[in-house]
Amino acid sequence: MAKEIFMPKLSSTMEVGTLLQWFKEEGDSVEMGEPLFEIMTDKINIEVESYEEGILLKKYFKVDDEVEVNACIGYIGEAGEKVPDNPPAASEESESVENVQEEASAEGQEQTVSTDSDQEENKDGKVRATPAARRISRENDLSLSAISGSGPNGRVHQQDVEAALVAGVIAVTPLAEKIAADHGIDLNQITGTGARGKIEKQDVLSYLEKADEISKETESEPAERIKLKGLRKAVADKMVQSVQSIPHVTLTSDVDMTNVIDLRKSLLPVIEKDTGYRLSFTEVIIKATANALMKHPKLNASLIGDEIVMNNEVNIGLAVAVDNGLIVPSIKNVNQKGLAALTQTSKELGKKARENKLKPDEMRGSTFTISNLGMYAIDAFTPIINGPETAILGVGRIVEKPVVVDGELTARPMMVLSLSFDHRAIDGAPAAAFLTDLKANLENPYSLLV
Amino acid sequence: MRELTYLEAVREAMSQEMRQNEDVFILGEDIGVYGGAFGVTRGMIEEFGPERIRNTPISESGIAGAAVGAALTGMRPILELQFSDFITIAMDQMVNQAAKIRYMYGGKGKVPMVLRTPSGSGTGAAAQHSQSLEAWVAHVPGLKVVQPSTAHDVKGLLKAAMDDDNPVIFYEHKLLYKTKGDVPEEQYSIPLGKADIKREGTDVTIVATAIMVHRALEAAEELEKEGISAEVVDPRTLVPLDTETIIQSVSKTSRLVVVHEAVKRGGYGAEIASMIAESEAFDYLDAPIKRLGGASSPIPYNPELEKMHVPQVPDIIQAVKETLNKA
Repeated sequence: MAKEIFMPKLSSTMEVGTLLQWFKEEGDSVEMGEPLFEIMTDKINIEVESYEEGILLKKYFKVDDEVEVNACIGYIGEAGEKVPDNPPAASEESESVENVQEEASAEGQEQTVSTDSDQEENKDGKVRATPAARRISRENDLSLSAISGSGPNGRVHQQDVEAALVAGVIAVTPLAEKIAADHGIDLNQITGTGARGKIEKQDVLSYLEKADEISKETESEPAERIKLKGLRKAVADKMVQSVQSIPHVTLTSDVDMTNVIDLRKSLLPVIEKDTGYRLSFTEVIIKATANALMKHPKLNASLIGDEIVMNNEVNIGLAVAVDNGLIVPSIKNVNQKGLAALTQTSKELGKKARENKLKPDEMRGSTFTISNLGMYAIDAFTPIINGPETAILGVGRIVEKPVVVDGELTARPMMVLSLSFDHRAIDGAPAAAFLTDLKANLENPYSLLV
Repeated sequence: MRELTYLEAVREAMSQEMRQNEDVFILGEDIGVYGGAFGVTRGMIEEFGPERIRNTPISESGIAGAAVGAALTGMRPILELQFSDFITIAMDQMVNQAAKIRYMYGGKGKVPMVLRTPSGSGTGAAAQHSQSLEAWVAHVPGLKVVQPSTAHDVKGLLKAAMDDDNPVIFYEHKLLYKTKGDVPEEQYSIPLGKADIKREGTDVTIVATAIMVHRALEAAEELEKEGISAEVVDPRTLVPLDTETIIQSVSKTSRLVVVHEAVKRGGYGAEIASMIAESEAFDYLDAPIKRLGGASSPIPYNPELEKMHVPQVPDIIQAVKETLNKA
């Protein structure tokens, strides 16, 4: 009797899971506890292991399909067992299930009448094979259903199994098969050392070693391929979603940082004495941004569904580069914090982010994001909005540039701000007004005291 | 080596034993001057006299009962039934007395006797004189059952039967009496329960008994011309049965055809087929087991119909080819 495979419910809030990949194909044998498929929920990506042992008979969904929890996504059973062509209805709809079964049995009766005798013989779904054929296919891990029989009524004989063996139906242990698949190795290239040439784990590993040596010798090392998974996959998915669904517009503006540099110089020892952390330009920019956001609440809004949510708090997300990805810890209520508190919070969150110790709460709730590439030789860029936020600020380097002040050409420490906004929620004029105010805040930071 | 007919080999086995063992004697209908229905004992009364070659009344029950009694008192009687069909009349003595006494008396008494009797069709003797009822006696614990197929085997097996302390039913096939083979002059014994591979082969095992051994060998010869290598196994004794030799052979060839002359329904071939299905040879079977046996009808008097009743060489060839999907 074939067993159903269900979409697991992994958390109390999970309603659907997205199939990321199947590790098995229809017809593959599956051990209990072997990874069967990978799903993504609203919270995590996880590999789901099989609760059953047998042959994967049916897959109803493909990669990227969203499947409701507890829905049947496939069947595991014995080779040749019949399973429905379409996924059975969820269990609560018992009435419709019964109807389906009745229909199915009615169909079955018709078939009995109409099919010729050969097919009727095999209607129970069992493979017709001699004991010897069964023994040899068992010894070689072959599936009898994959072998065409030469005997009466398609009976599989010893010679059919032997022919299948010679023809290269490859005998392989499930583990070896998985390792080979993970490395993208064609099993035909591997010589098995197990009984009757069965490919075992060790054979795949030694093939990999040998392949490594050869590639080192020949110098033309093949490009490393890194599977998109975990944080990388989360970042990738989020970026695609943002770029594809949000109409981005990016505004840039040059900011004279002379006064911010003076401000920082004078506050640096004070704040260091107070908190033990060194004030950086980032915190001043955060402070100036929060101030501007208070004046331009549309830039602090979130676009959720078909509603623009005017957030009461000003929580600024700070993009932090970590190994293999990007994390955005959120600094809460920035408008209520002084530079000392901001310095302490942003430094602590940055450290936690790099050490991968952020709590979920510290990653949630930002209403606006700042991405600072000022430590690199970058002037301006086009940041991608961290949805459902409606805008993001990109910060470039501070560099001495010739500018005209009072009719005189002079060198000033200049910095480019790049503001990307969601044109669905905000139009160009208000965004420009915000950026202009922000520029004014930074060029005259003492206005923040007002 | 010297050639003897099957019939002469039987006579020689008995004569040699009687010359050295005073306890052995023969009893049966017209076995004296007439020499028995098929002439097996012809001339023996001259050598051993009427005391030891005893003519009896026409009563198989009486003959069998007298033999059981003689055996219990220490003699080693050989009784001859003219046709194996008549064993029905001796059945109570054989089944309820001969087969049971040693067991029921805890081994304190024994019944060392041989019941010799010609079986099989092919002589135009019709329904009451042509049967092969060996499965009846093979079913009864306490009786040993022997079916020799050659002159050589019949002499050695009869010696073993005469030496055995249990009742042995010894079937001689009527059509085999005139067949010739090399037979050693001296006495020798072929142990009961030891099958003989009459021909070695690799593609199919034919287990055949009595006259069917010869038809199987002939079929094997024909099959060889078509590139099919048949192994012919002669169990020689049905009880005890040499299961090991048959299992090994089937494990090697993966195919089994069982052939006997007795009616297929309920015949001993069913026992052999079942034994293989239950054995470790099962996993080596690459075709359904085939049984060939007599038709489910009385044996006809018409010679053509009589032939059709029992398996012939073409039937065996056909069955073998079916197991190889070459029919």
